[in-house]
Amino acid sequence: MRQRPLWLLAPGGALMILVILLPLGLAGWISTIDLDQYTLRRWVQAPFIGLGNYTESLGSGLLHSIWISVSFAVLSTLATIPIGIAAALVTQNAYRGRALVRAVFLIPYVLPSFVVATVWRTMLQPDGVVNNWLGADGSLWLSGPRSYWALILVEIWAAWPFIYLMALAALQSVDHEVHEASAVDGATWWPKLTRVVLPYLRGPVLLACLLATLNHINNFTLPFVLFGAPAPDDVNVMPMLVYVTSFQSLRFGLSAAMAVVSLIIIAIPLFAYLRAVRLDVHEEGGRR
Amino acid sequence: MRSSKTLAGTAILTLTLAMAACGGGDDSGGGKSINVLIAANTQYPQEQQAWQKSIAEQFRTQTGADVKWETFASANDELTKIQTSVVSGSGPDVYAVGTTFTPTAYSTKAFVTLGDEQWKQVGGKEKFIPSALGISGPDEQNQIGIPWVGRPFVMVYNTELLKAAGIDKPATTWDELTEQAKKLTTGDQHGLAVAYKDNFDPWKFIWGMSAQAGNPIVDGKTARIQDPAVQKAYQTYFGWLATDKVVDPAAVGWTNSQAIAAFAEGKTGYMALTSALATKALDAGAVKGKWQFALLPTVPPGATSRPANGVEAASILSGDNLLVADYSKNKDLAFQFVRLITDEPAQLEIYKQLGQLPSNAAAAQSLQSDPKLKVVVEAQQKSVATPFSGAWADVQLALTNAVVQSIPDLSKGSISTATIDGRLADAQKKAQSALDRAK
Repeated sequence: MRQRPLWLLAPGGALMILVILLPLGLAGWISTIDLDQYTLRRWVQAPFIGLGNYTESLGSGLLHSIWISVSFAVLSTLATIPIGIAAALVTQNAYRGRALVRAVFLIPYVLPSFVVATVWRTMLQPDGVVNNWLGADGSLWLSGPRSYWALILVEIWAAWPFIYLMALAALQSVDHEVHEASAVDGATWWPKLTRVVLPYLRGPVLLACLLATLNHINNFTLPFVLFGAPAPDDVNVMPMLVYVTSFQSLRFGLSAAMAVVSLIIIAIPLFAYLRAVRLDVHEEGGRR
Repeated sequence: MRSSKTLAGTAILTLTLAMAACGGGDDSGGGKSINVLIAANTQYPQEQQAWQKSIAEQFRTQTGADVKWETFASANDELTKIQTSVVSGSGPDVYAVGTTFTPTAYSTKAFVTLGDEQWKQVGGKEKFIPSALGISGPDEQNQIGIPWVGRPFVMVYNTELLKAAGIDKPATTWDELTEQAKKLTTGDQHGLAVAYKDNFDPWKFIWGMSAQAGNPIVDGKTARIQDPAVQKAYQTYFGWLATDKVVDPAAVGWTNSQAIAAFAEGKTGYMALTSALATKALDAGAVKGKWQFALLPTVPPGATSRPANGVEAASILSGDNLLVADYSKNKDLAFQFVRLITDEPAQLEIYKQLGQLPSNAAAAQSLQSDPKLKVVVEAQQKSVATPFSGAWADVQLALTNAVVQSIPDLSKGSISTATIDGRLADAQKKAQSALDRAK
């Protein structure tokens, strides 16, 4: 075997170390020290407390927040898949005005999260537009149990075009011959859709699900602008908890521990997901 | 191959240069300068720029040095700036920080403690309103904050509606306020506007009522949230909406600016917590010419006079303090700058341009002649500092959180004492744990 020029990876590797591994290592270290406003100035000398922050984080609502974050993210993703795929199918074939429809579909995705949240916050006021439509005057959307559903609703509204884009890209890559062949075989639209077209979408959409779920979990702007801090318990998602711990309580060590715990708890199912759906393109290409 | 090597070389060089530039010192080239960090004024952006320009010119005339302004848009931006500066030991020379944030800033020990010499440099302690110094430090010997501007809290009331209801003067006790609000509530008209969903308003009510009843909520290293005075405060605050029904039910979704907007429509008797900065918004509404400021009640709920250990807290001590960074290499210039903007002319100028009240006693005195402002200046003099503790941020967060989590019950129209007690127990736990950590 010829010597491979692995050294060519060095610039990329150096960047990886600088941008990903160093901060991660730093976060790991901060999570083991008692870093707060009292020790910030001499942060190198902040007392080492081992797993102290970790035990405290488990007792301060972290698991509740992770549960809310994960369930919210998964529900949002599940709800956006059919919407995104349907929208992609609608704009697959050429017709008059398709470009306009495609552009309109992207509006929610283009708007900054801050704007989306501010507009929805206004609409979801107790005496706001949404309650007027529903005839449910005084219903609470931004506090209490219903705030959880409000968060999911707004997230779906803002995030479905991502699935749509990915599905549309996949649809465009379906070979022309495939459509012709299914036409020759006399397949009607439904069998053609479910047996021929959708299998082509599997890879990209599964990837989109993964990315979308991670985006939902990491979304801070939306809950922050919608509900403010401190957030109602029902929507005290992980980024909000970490934010309040870091920037209102100034417990940097504790919040780093929270972030590390969340990372681990979320990484495990992610890993399993990646193994199960095998997003490896080469392998899939080989099977096809 | 050759070109890619050159490219790589150039890239590395650029990176090195950029890093050198980032780490580079201040004062590069030309005369001296100081960096000043202040809040961006979103209400009067042009006026603020004009003010900055004018001050910078005056400073150059006086000292020959330049002022480089940095602004922050939110408390978070400010905090991030302070954190990075504290950690790196470089950044702004002078910070303007909110009063309630001063204890937190103090706990980082990154700011100059003001000795006799520094006070002399800024023109002496005597030039300030005494109450404005209340949150400069934990005690007289350890002060870091130089009072700059005040934004005391007051009530605003609709003169026409009060007159129509036969009320000849605004309430001075909380019970009286509730009674008057009941009288003012008829049809689509409400007695009181309260911003229940605001992220900061709620704790100010609770702290004020409790302090008036003799419980400042933090007593040394002990949190006193599970206390009858605090419980009564929450009951009163929730009661306006839940049981007295003097507040628009939509108020469970209001922030402070929404409550002001509701009041400005002219269908509300009182708006319970605002400041002189609301003047512009009020004059833009239907209440133009029909509103007056009044002091917030200073007699605790359920009482007709203040108990002996209660304090006459008309407002929390609110406004901005100036802090000089410990790492600053231009401390003398920084203090000269502080002196400039706390002297009478600059203090009157900032009031004129931006509506911020002076902390300078002589400047405040000269504003007393304006009848509209008389009340606000009085509120500033009767402002009481919130406890000076590094844990205060957590305490106010816990007090506000008790309101945030109660909003669903509040909206249903009933909130039991047991529920309130449960929330108070939770807040007590959080506040005490923060106080236990305080150093």
